Order: sequence, then C-alpha cells, then structure tokens
Amino acid sequence: MRSDIIIKTIDLARYYELGGEIIKALDGVDLEVRRGEYLSIVGPSGVGKTTLFNMIGGLDRPTRGKVIIDDVDISQLDAYELAWLRCRKIGYIFQTFNLIPTLTALENVALPTIFAGLPRDEGRRKAEIILRSVGLGDRLDHKPSELSAGQQQRVAIARAMVNDPAIILADEPTGNLDFKTGREIINLLRELNRKRGVTIIAATHDLKMIGVSDRVVYMRDGRIERIEERKRE
Amino acid sequence: MSIKEEGRITFSLADALRLGYDNVKRRFNRAVLSIAAIMLGIAFFSTLSLMDVFFKLHAQAGGGALGVEGYQYGLVLVSLAVCTISITNSMLIAVYERYREIGTMKCLGALDQHVLKLFLVESIILAILGGTFGFGIGIVASILACGLSMGFHVVLELPMTVLLILLGKVILLSITLSAIATIYPAYKAAKLDPVEALRYEI
Repeated sequence: MRSDIIIKTIDLARYYELGGEIIKALDGVDLEVRRGEYLSIVGPSGVGKTTLFNMIGGLDRPTRGKVIIDDVDISQLDAYELAWLRCRKIGYIFQTFNLIPTLTALENVALPTIFAGLPRDEGRRKAEIILRSVGLGDRLDHKPSELSAGQQQRVAIARAMVNDPAIILADEPTGNLDFKTGREIINLLRELNRKRGVTIIAATHDLKMIGVSDRVVYMRDGRIERIEERKRE
Repeated sequence: MSIKEEGRITFSLADALRLGYDNVKRRFNRAVLSIAAIMLGIAFFSTLSLMDVFFKLHAQAGGGALGVEGYQYGLVLVSLAVCTISITNSMLIAVYERYREIGTMKCLGALDQHVLKLFLVESIILAILGGTFGFGIGIVASILACGLSMGFHVVLELPMTVLLILLGKVILLSITLSAIATIYPAYKAAKLDPVEALRYEI
C-alpha cells in the first residue's frame, strides 16, 4: 500500500557558513506533502524555499533531519539512485527557465528522456505530444531565444513532465513573468495537477499566485510559520 | 515504481555523440578556437613528417641526402604542447559559459560521468576536425616546400599507403592531445555542484 504522504521532512535543517557566520537557511522543517495535492510555499526571498527544494530533490545534503520520499529516506540513496530520483520521480521548474540555449524546444523536452533510457524516437514523440498539450505544437523547432518568456516556461514545464514524475518542484515559476502570463502558467500547472495527478509544490513570494493551491505553507526564517488549508476551487 | 527497485540512468555514446556534435555545430565560434589550435599544431607536425618522407624519396632517387633536423622535431613538440594548453584554456572557458546548463542537466538526472563523457566526446569531435584540416595544410605546405626545391616529380612519387598511415597517426595524435587537454576542464564540469551552478549568474 502506498501511503497518502508522498514527501515527509523531519526536523530538516541546513546551515551554511558564510564569512565565519552561520546562516540557518532551514532550521527544523517538519512537513508532510499529500499525494496529488497542489502545495504552495510562500515567503520572502531568502526564507529557505530554494534550500528546501534542493533537499527534496537530493541536490543538497541536510545538516540535520531527514527527507522521506515514498517511504524511502533519500539520505540512504547513492549517486545513481539520486540521479534516478531527479530524472524519473521529480520534475524541476525554475524561475529562470534554465532551458539549454543551443537546443530546440523539442530537444530540450526530450533531453530527460535520454537519461531515462527511452529510445530516441520514442523520447521525441513523447516530447512532441507533451509540447502540444501545453500549447506549443507550432513552436517545436524554435530555440529558447526565439520564444517569449511565457513560452519558455511552458517548454520548461513540458520538460519537467516528460518522464511522468510523481512530483513537480516549481521554484518561483512566475518570478520572471508578467502577471497575466504568470497566471496562465499557474493555471497550466493546476491543470496538470488535476489531469495527471502529479503532486505540485510551488514556491512563490507572490500572494496573487496561491489561488489554485490546496494548501499554503507560510515560511519565515527557515521555519514553517503556519499551514493554511484551502477548499478546492 | 519505487526508488530502490529501478535506478537505471543512461547516456549512451550515441547520445553523447549527437549532443556533442550539435553543440560543436551550434557553438561554432567557440569550437573554431579549439579546432584552430589543433589544426596549427598538427599542420606543423604533418608538414615535417611529409618532408621527411620526401627527403628519403629524393635520396633514393639519387639526389643529395637531406633530412629533417633534430631541432625541428623539438619545435614540433613545443607547438603541440602549446596547442594542448590552448585547448585546455578554451575548454575551461566553455565550462564556465555552460555552468547553468551543466547544473540543469544534473537536475534532470545526468550523472557526473555523463557530463565528463559529453565534454570528452566534444573534444574528440574537435580533434578529428582540427586534425583533418591540419593534415590537409601539412600536405599542401610540404608539397610546395619540397616540390619547389627538389622538383615536383619527387613529391608525386609519394605512395598512397604512406599518406594514409600518416593520416591515421595524425588523427590518433590529435585525439590524444585533445583528450589530455580536456581531462581537467571536463572533470571540473562533472564535479560541479548543481546547487552552486544554478545560482551562478553569467
């Protein structure tokens, strides 16, 4: 039986040393993320949202505490297993899109399928289907520099989704977009969340972007201040 | 699917070749520098090697005994060393330019060894291009130099097998040099901390 909790953090902390001073980016976060929910994490920049995402994605090791994904403590995983986690289980969306500038939209989206071991044709076919589903069917062979910011973020969302991950981590996905485009992106994420059942965790400092959430986590100084339950729209 | 039961992350040589080739093609300005470095070193090397062959042909045909001097080989060694260092330099710049890209790839599931593979494959593509062009220049230069001094009838006797064997040596040499030159930059790229790389602003 799979539990309803897909991600659990226990007393998660990450301290950095900067110029002889200890910076507590995360300082004891206990969080349970439910399978299939849309969770927003809100707080000003520097509050530890990105650090939390890095921990959940296994990109960084905690100073203290644990991250448990599908009942597996990810500190027990080796480099291969962590790479697999990032490739197949988790999709990343960044504020700065981080598309590969030399690759076309289609190639960018197909990239994670290479690491996932999909045959080339199948990966490209899958990438094309998913790009069409985010409304970029006529932009397959465009380079990122030939796309608008909103379109680039759509490509990034398609790339995050292409290996059918269970979790999407979106770090300020609307931070570089105007309000209208930002709303479109958030609505797209919500649609994917509903249609495909993918768990979405979206960090934002913009309270206008939390309307679609099932729950909202408010963070302050590396800790969770409060968690707000919201009714499904 | 649980994390423990799966765990196959792949990046085949064919994938590396395709991505590497695209990169060389689409970042051609950067590639030209590396190709030029290899080309010049190899052009010098193949010119001298071919001249040596021509001198021997000339001697066999009853001409005077000429030869490539030892110090000239010394110069070739120096030029190959300089070419290796400049490839390292331009590869290091390429790694810095692609910090974010490398970080992103790691986020998408690339392992350290995949990044290493990609950079090494790219350097081999550059080596083959540079080596081939350099060899072409070497042929022209040596034919001109020897043809003008000893007569073109001598250089036209050059056996094809000698030329092909030399081409093989030249390609092998440029791949070796380029790979050696790229080990450090590629290792640096592979060991890049994705958290650090994604924070990096260009």
